Amino acid sequence: MKTYKIISVTVLMLILSTTTNAQNLPLGQHIAEKTHERNEGISMKRKLTMALKDKRGKVRIRETISLRKYYGKEKRLAIFYETPRSVQGTAFLTYDYPNASVDDDQWLYMPALRKTRRISAANRGDYFLGTDLTYEDIKLETRISLDDYNYKTLGKEIIKGQACFIVEGTPKTKEIAKELGYGKVKFWIDAKIWMLRKAESWDVAQNHLKTIEITDVKQVQGIWTYHKIFVKNHKTGHETIFLNSDIDYQTNISDDTFTKEALVNGL
Amino acid sequence: MFRTFSLVITVLLLCIKTNAQANRRKFKDAFKASLVALTDFSYEFKGNKMQKSEIVLKPRFEYHINHASKLVLIGQVYSELNDNLEPGKSKDYSASKFSRRLFIGDRTNLELRELYYHAKVGKNLRIMLGKQQIVWGETDGLKLLDVVNPQNFREFILDDFEDSRIPLWSAKSEFNILNIGVQLVWVPDNTYHIIPSFDAPFFTSSIFPKPPDGISTIIRRPKRPNRFLEDSDYGFKLSSFIKGWDVSVNYFYYYDDLPAFYNRLDLDNENGPSVIFTPEYERQHLIGGTLNKVIGSSTLRAELAYVFNQNFITTNPIISNGVQISNVYKSAFGVDYVKGEHVISAQLFSDVITDDISAYNRDRFETNTSLKLQQEMMNDNLTLDVLWGHNYNHGDGYIRPQVGYWMNSSVRLHLESSFFYGNENQLFGQFKDRNRVSLGFMWGL
Repeated sequence: MKTYKIISVTVLMLILSTTTNAQNLPLGQHIAEKTHERNEGISMKRKLTMALKDKRGKVRIRETISLRKYYGKEKRLAIFYETPRSVQGTAFLTYDYPNASVDDDQWLYMPALRKTRRISAANRGDYFLGTDLTYEDIKLETRISLDDYNYKTLGKEIIKGQACFIVEGTPKTKEIAKELGYGKVKFWIDAKIWMLRKAESWDVAQNHLKTIEITDVKQVQGIWTYHKIFVKNHKTGHETIFLNSDIDYQTNISDDTFTKEALVNGL
Repeated sequence: MFRTFSLVITVLLLCIKTNAQANRRKFKDAFKASLVALTDFSYEFKGNKMQKSEIVLKPRFEYHINHASKLVLIGQVYSELNDNLEPGKSKDYSASKFSRRLFIGDRTNLELRELYYHAKVGKNLRIMLGKQQIVWGETDGLKLLDVVNPQNFREFILDDFEDSRIPLWSAKSEFNILNIGVQLVWVPDNTYHIIPSFDAPFFTSSIFPKPPDGISTIIRRPKRPNRFLEDSDYGFKLSSFIKGWDVSVNYFYYYDDLPAFYNRLDLDNENGPSVIFTPEYERQHLIGGTLNKVIGSSTLRAELAYVFNQNFITTNPIISNGVQISNVYKSAFGVDYVKGEHVISAQLFSDVITDDISAYNRDRFETNTSLKLQQEMMNDNLTLDVLWGHNYNHGDGYIRPQVGYWMNSSVRLHLESSFFYGNENQLFGQFKDRNRVSLGFMWGL
């Protein structure tokens, strides 16, 4: 009888605690907005290394220089491939517009053709240059979408020593789910610095699709910055590691870096 | 005294060492060297023989003089083991003496592919001086505006454009006026297309009329312009990005890279009656433009060119020098549809001779199409694609299925086949005996 009482009290306390927590937890949409308010600096130059590993353990390394600059709310990003030597000179440029209804503009320079090709940005669920992140994932970096999901805050959890809000996102429509390639996503957002720390995603048929882990987060020139993203695709067994180094928010990047001509001329 | 002296020397040595280390580090950061090695072997079905056995080394050196300028050098050692594509020691008569390859025996040549200085001057000017490639246009396969650099046709259209395009000594400057990008081009290098010789597998016989039996054909060495300023090519490109449209307007005043083949019948030739071709390079004006726009998952591309005073070998017997002149209008419309890892790319090319002339082996209106299907697989590890080009006037064309596979970060395997079909007197059909399968590797070091 005594044991029954203890269990009942414990369960009651747990229920009360959960309810209280749920009442205190910020709304998912609010958390999404907070991720977009984070300071990312006006411009940034970094070395971005991508390690692509297939399920048999074969690893391909891509080393790039990535440059990013904000023009108001419009973001421009240029990525120049340094290695492997056989694709050296390949370059990617994107203009990311703040209006969600306007597709981004993207160009890819292919040194083998010496031509810059315009690429459609409508397929935001397509995988980015052979990695396990989609174009949309790359665009958002460590933020979460403001427009695509209905959010529910599930609770709080410690990830790598940091308190994180757990937010579940369900695409607002079937079309959006199809576009993104996700039927459901669970995000772990750092409660202090509002940066994505971890994400689990499921495909449209609700099969477990991907795990994303963002680590080695530290301040660079006063700005919270991630240095490593690990992505595992559970369907294909393929993994990608993105490593950021030599990050500089104070470098002066001229506007003509973000032009088709700059892609041709290289860095 | 001695102690002070020793101390000064020690400090000096430390300074020198630190400086040397700093300089070494600075140089290491500023200097980049790389090497791409390629092998490519092709087996010709009809001839039952190796058509190509290439080994190519491409060293590249890049030195960043400061944050705004760099020097780039790309060399090439090219060796064709069975000396088939360019038999013998090519004299490169169509190339200026500054752009000729250095042949070592029949099979190997050394070439300075590119050597240029690139600098940003002030906030709004970029210059590029030296041997370089300047590429215009939006189309794949057939060229409309991509006429600044000539091409080596040793493999007709089968060689990669990067390898077949001949870099030229030239100057390019770029700057912006409001939101219009201006590119000015000056090309003093009088180098033109390298056309394979009679005995080469890809000799383009379809451009020359076949003389009647008993009459031979003699093609004289072309007269190549060689005045530095007067014979330079000049041009400009204006480009802009307006409300999602990429637009450019291009103009080029240049020598056509293919000479006008003036010809006459010589009945008194000591070797018997002959048709003698005396090729001469002629001036042309080209005006054109490009535009592209993304709509949903598709990119629409267009390229237009109007060429003034193009020379054609004529079938009109009244024309004494065998060549007629007409303006030519060329257009290309393309669409690239991308869905996931799949790409479908279709192009429609039209070519219209505007004047009433009798051009040899071509219609006044010519239509070509191309269709490319491509699929990336295994996170871009594996690429499958097939390209089909077809000429509607003459019913000839080609099909090229290809497979590319990254074996690791730096080695790519490449398997490809090329099939030409159609009448043997036509541009593509003439090479139907050259159908082949190729295997190649590319190493990046």
